[in-house]
Amino acid sequence: MPAPRVRPLCVTDYANLNALGGSRSEILAALAAGRSGLGSPTESFGFTTAVGEVRTELPDLEGELSAWSTRIARMAGVLVAELEEPLRRARKRWRPERIAVLMGSSTGGASATEVAYRHYVEQGALPADYSFQRHHTFNALLNVVGELSGAKGPAWMISTACTSSAKPLATAQRLMAADIIDAAIVGGVDTLCALTLLGFQSLQALDRQPCRPFSSERSGISIGEGGALALVERSGEPRVLVEGVGETSDAYHISAPHPEGRGALGAMQVAMSQAGCSSKDIDHINAHGTGTHLNDATEGIAIAKLFADQVPVVSTKGYTGHTLGAAGAIEFAFASYAIEEGWIPPSLNCEPLDESAGIFISKTLLKGDFKRVLSNSFAFGGNNVSVLVRAP
Amino acid sequence: MTGFEVGIGGVGLWMPGYSGVESWLAGVPDPEHAQPSGRAFDRMNRRRASQLGRALSDALAESGVQAGVDASTTPTVVGSAIGEGCTMVGLLEQIFSAEDPVSPAAFSVSVHNAAAGLISISNKNEGFASALSADSDTPAASLIEGIGLVATTGAPVGVVCGDEPVPIHLLSEGQRWSLQAAAVTLVPLESNTKCLARLRVVLDGAPDLVPAELDLPGSRNPQAGMVDLVAAVARGQTGCVRLDRGTGRGYCAVVTSAPIS
Repeated sequence: MPAPRVRPLCVTDYANLNALGGSRSEILAALAAGRSGLGSPTESFGFTTAVGEVRTELPDLEGELSAWSTRIARMAGVLVAELEEPLRRARKRWRPERIAVLMGSSTGGASATEVAYRHYVEQGALPADYSFQRHHTFNALLNVVGELSGAKGPAWMISTACTSSAKPLATAQRLMAADIIDAAIVGGVDTLCALTLLGFQSLQALDRQPCRPFSSERSGISIGEGGALALVERSGEPRVLVEGVGETSDAYHISAPHPEGRGALGAMQVAMSQAGCSSKDIDHINAHGTGTHLNDATEGIAIAKLFADQVPVVSTKGYTGHTLGAAGAIEFAFASYAIEEGWIPPSLNCEPLDESAGIFISKTLLKGDFKRVLSNSFAFGGNNVSVLVRAP
Repeated sequence: MTGFEVGIGGVGLWMPGYSGVESWLAGVPDPEHAQPSGRAFDRMNRRRASQLGRALSDALAESGVQAGVDASTTPTVVGSAIGEGCTMVGLLEQIFSAEDPVSPAAFSVSVHNAAAGLISISNKNEGFASALSADSDTPAASLIEGIGLVATTGAPVGVVCGDEPVPIHLLSEGQRWSLQAAAVTLVPLESNTKCLARLRVVLDGAPDLVPAELDLPGSRNPQAGMVDLVAAVARGQTGCVRLDRGTGRGYCAVVTSAPIS
């Protein structure tokens, strides 16, 4: 099926929160310095690994939302607060019923439920203040973001593992094309939890040290947490534009990528086709680049087929860790930084480089005029997303 | 709220004791169908799929067959409020109760989009697949996502919603529900695809269709409104059906007669 042409999304503003910090200046300073946010986990899980924990202060939610004040909801609260001014303008411009909340998360309230479940095992009952609806469900987060932002349009959580928060950009494009909404808060959040750390450990996919995407000595991922939200509008004065979003499936395996990177390749092709551009128009790729042998190898194959070694590729997982359901949104923000700031950070810990893929992994901070940037996210279920961000 | 109108090309259902729409409308339960079969999965993925995944697959396949669409190319939207919550709690049980290592196989299918992934693998569908959640507004959200896809691609879209019972530790007895899944295949109105009815989703509708008769645990399922929509279409009814059974934001499906072909 040919990729549909949709109008570019105007990204009015965006906010980013991860192990590097909670403000644009903190995050850019760390990226420019090549300083990783990965470190030992606060909580012990019985094995050695590095994680990207958010150390930014996360104020409790207040008033009626205090009962919803989980860690993930507080992260979302910090991000919405960063967007307060553009949201105020959007609410004047569009009816709140036409502003959607389209988010993505993989873990949702799992970390809160872990604490409650441990209590249940130890004491035979859930904690008195635990509420499945307010602390576990995806809807709890939608409620918090809706209340804090004043958006009253359609609201849902996309949960497709590690592509979760990239897909809302595509949904927003479609809902605008169908004249259902005029604006949306898009993005997502995820928190560290035992379930994901122990789960990836069981798959032997965790590196004991900070991850080394695209290195020949890579040996797994580092898990991170955080989130990013963007305000996207039908029209306006954009910081960047989302020109295309490719969404494909590997149709191969529930947790392993297609060995030839077919789904990854297809996602990038669809994104470029939607934008009406070709490989030669792409200036930079923020790779999914998790640091596992298979993921980096197959993504490398897909990138090489389209771009050979002509486009600088960076994985930012060495800075933040793999933030799972939040990765798509966080790395959309990194792609936007490249366009707005005119430089890309070095791909951390990539040496000695795996030369087998034949792609251009950027080992140093690189300045340039980055007009079109692809941001890749791939997930369990064989789910693939590639977002094409463009300078206005 | 959505001015964009689509056609419904097919409907599907899995309810406890019923294998599909026709048997459920006939009202004669069959003990053979106490559990979903997952017959649309290949053998390996059927083994991997949860009860929820099998129910979703059964309902989606029935809907797709009625609509006459190609499962290897049709985009799929899977809606579920809780998703693979039972699998997740099973993992918590391993971690905190049994203090066993986490099962890598169970971890791989604990993600919310496990069913969407297994369906795409079984159908060899390399196109769009998504999974979303919005509590009892999940049917409306899934339909709106599907309508957006039809609007931009001009091609049919499979939308299936389902939820399995939440593990008993987490919800009080008065809030628990039973497993169910319901599906519609959305088609563009200008296509030559067979169409049973027209559909719009609105926020300010005036419901005039009586909800389907469900037992109490069935009526509490966040996807009960999707069952109501499927029942209305299968019975040839037109009118406005509430998609959240009164527990969400008030989204309704407006069902009108199919275009004369």
